[in-house]
Amino acid sequence: MKLNTSKFLERRSTVAAAVAVTLVSTSLISTLGNAASAATKPLSIGVSLSLTGDFADSGTAAQKGYKLWVSDVNKKGGILGRQVSIKIVNDASSPDQVVTNYTNLITQSKVDIVMGPFSSLLTIPASRVAKRYGYSFIEPAGGGPKVFAEKNPNLFFVQPAATTKGGDVFADYILSLPASSRPKTAAYVKLDDPFAAPLADNIKARFEAAGIKTVYDQTYPSETADMTPVISGVAAKAPDVLVGGTQTADAFAQVKAMIQLKFNPKWLFLSNGASSPLEFPKAIGLKNTEGVFTSSDWYPKSTAPGTAAFIKAYIAMYGGTAALIDSTSAEAYSAGTLLELVAKKTGKIDNATIIKTLHTGSWPTLVGNLSWNAYGEPQGAYLLTQWIGGSLKTVFPTASAQHAPVAPKPAWVG
Amino acid sequence: MHSVVQALILGSLTGGVYALMASGQTLIFGIMKVINLAQGAFVIVASYLTFSLFQMTGLDPFLLIVITTPIMFILGAATQWFLLRPLRPDDAAELSLLVTFAVALGLEGALSIVYKTTLRSIMPGYENHSWTVWGYQVNEVRFYAFLLSIAMLGILYLLLQKTKFGRSVRATVQNPMSAQLLGVNSKAVSAFGFGLGVSTTAAAGAVFGLITPFNPGSHYDLISRLLTIVVLGGMGAIGGSVIAALIMGVGAALVSALSAPIWADFTFFIVLLLVLLLRPRGLFGAKVRGAL
Repeated sequence: MKLNTSKFLERRSTVAAAVAVTLVSTSLISTLGNAASAATKPLSIGVSLSLTGDFADSGTAAQKGYKLWVSDVNKKGGILGRQVSIKIVNDASSPDQVVTNYTNLITQSKVDIVMGPFSSLLTIPASRVAKRYGYSFIEPAGGGPKVFAEKNPNLFFVQPAATTKGGDVFADYILSLPASSRPKTAAYVKLDDPFAAPLADNIKARFEAAGIKTVYDQTYPSETADMTPVISGVAAKAPDVLVGGTQTADAFAQVKAMIQLKFNPKWLFLSNGASSPLEFPKAIGLKNTEGVFTSSDWYPKSTAPGTAAFIKAYIAMYGGTAALIDSTSAEAYSAGTLLELVAKKTGKIDNATIIKTLHTGSWPTLVGNLSWNAYGEPQGAYLLTQWIGGSLKTVFPTASAQHAPVAPKPAWVG
Repeated sequence: MHSVVQALILGSLTGGVYALMASGQTLIFGIMKVINLAQGAFVIVASYLTFSLFQMTGLDPFLLIVITTPIMFILGAATQWFLLRPLRPDDAAELSLLVTFAVALGLEGALSIVYKTTLRSIMPGYENHSWTVWGYQVNEVRFYAFLLSIAMLGILYLLLQKTKFGRSVRATVQNPMSAQLLGVNSKAVSAFGFGLGVSTTAAAGAVFGLITPFNPGSHYDLISRLLTIVVLGGMGAIGGSVIAALIMGVGAALVSALSAPIWADFTFFIVLLLVLLLRPRGLFGAKVRGAL
């Protein structure tokens, strides 16, 4: 049997052409449609936060910062004309849950951008997920050495310096004093914690190099509720300066123990705990805060540009007073600010652009002008703040100082 | 020498605080044989109660113990009546562990919702006062806590040894069926005994809130200490828990002040381990523990 091949081929090519045209046109329409909707659909941001569990307070503070930034940026017309939407999911302070959350945000919710959770503990696993999917990872609250040891080029820590360098500014101040008025002896009382202890050790290295003698250097475990025996050991050595490598509860316990033992060093620096404008006076009594040094990136009396507007918007949204604003809220807000700045500079907002752009230049935020090394470690310095007249004030570096440092420290009120 | 004496004073006073907290646990765990993992959480509930009442009324936290004690008693008795009593007697010992742990987590969760996880302190103004005696610092609150714990344990001892209720409790623990046959309302006695054990957390909570900042998660550290104090002191030995608490307080203080704080708590567990190896019933535990 002879097959009419030419007719068959002709018919086949017609069908093929029709299919091809349909396919091309369909995909063209779809592409055009996508392009059109990409410009107008909201820019979706995904964040996992510790709304319950150990970090609940800080997680909630970060949530306030993120949400406030979203509200502010949308009032200004969004980013590149796109409204911003934020999806915040709870990780209950769990490093396992945070991995699930970011994986879901990226693969199921298909958010455009992810930003960081609270704490280095959660930032490390979360940043690995972001890196795996090629997402940028601007994060406000994971500044421990292990975060940067990940060598994740997608990561940007939104604070002025790595957390363990938070005390360097105190060393700068002490060593700026004339040799005759510097402390002669120092004690280091450190929580067994990856941030608190290295921070105090960094100060110790600087002090020892300058000839300030170490008379006490001990680490205590995190379950130490009662600090009186430890502080009695310190008091017996009568150091001029006490450097507390502290987190929160232990900072308060150290102060209570000092008051109870009537031990008042001439300089007292507490790395964390004392930097909380809200909790510190509540835990030890406002009168007893006088003269305690700590370091901060943002606090209500900060002179960083944008602070007044931020405080006003914060109070309008959440009520309360400026003194009640946690620095974590300002840090999370600043993380959002960086997105705005990148879009403004490049006219684009996608992960590759964010990563490439933030690696150069200096970026002004509420927490200072930020710039990073290749793995997201900020290259700036914290401000030295001191409790003076019932509030935190910047006392060093002199250029940003709101008040001269008060030393020796006034006596405890009791 | 000054450091040693100061550490001894600090340790004894801290031991007194823990003895106060362990007094109720001694009754519940040491005598009634219920492993109550919620005792630490009850202490924290009492701390918050005292904190709130102090904020509202301005009354002295030690005075507020009069108000918080019955509240904690009701909470304890209700926990026993509604959650522990329904357990099958055969599995009660094991299941009570789970149930009370659930209660602890539940209380922690509820407190987190109401008070958030912010650290709180009860600050009547004298919480950090110390008397200077021959150059040594003696903290007022801890000293009062020490006296309170002696009083509390004394009352418990008298209650268990000298009253009809005490005999009923001991009879119920030994053999609930026989006790019932002899006219003891063992269900009511169990609830009352548990409530009594929990009611001591009212005083303990007030003191804890005065001496240390606390949040809902503070109970984890407490419960491990309370259970070890009762075990070290000896099950059923009320005086034993005071001695055990003092050993813990003094041991930790001496190691912290004179050596390295990092070993302070570890030292206590070494002591506990040694005591249990050499004397499994604890320092002052009854010889016929199983028959209790």
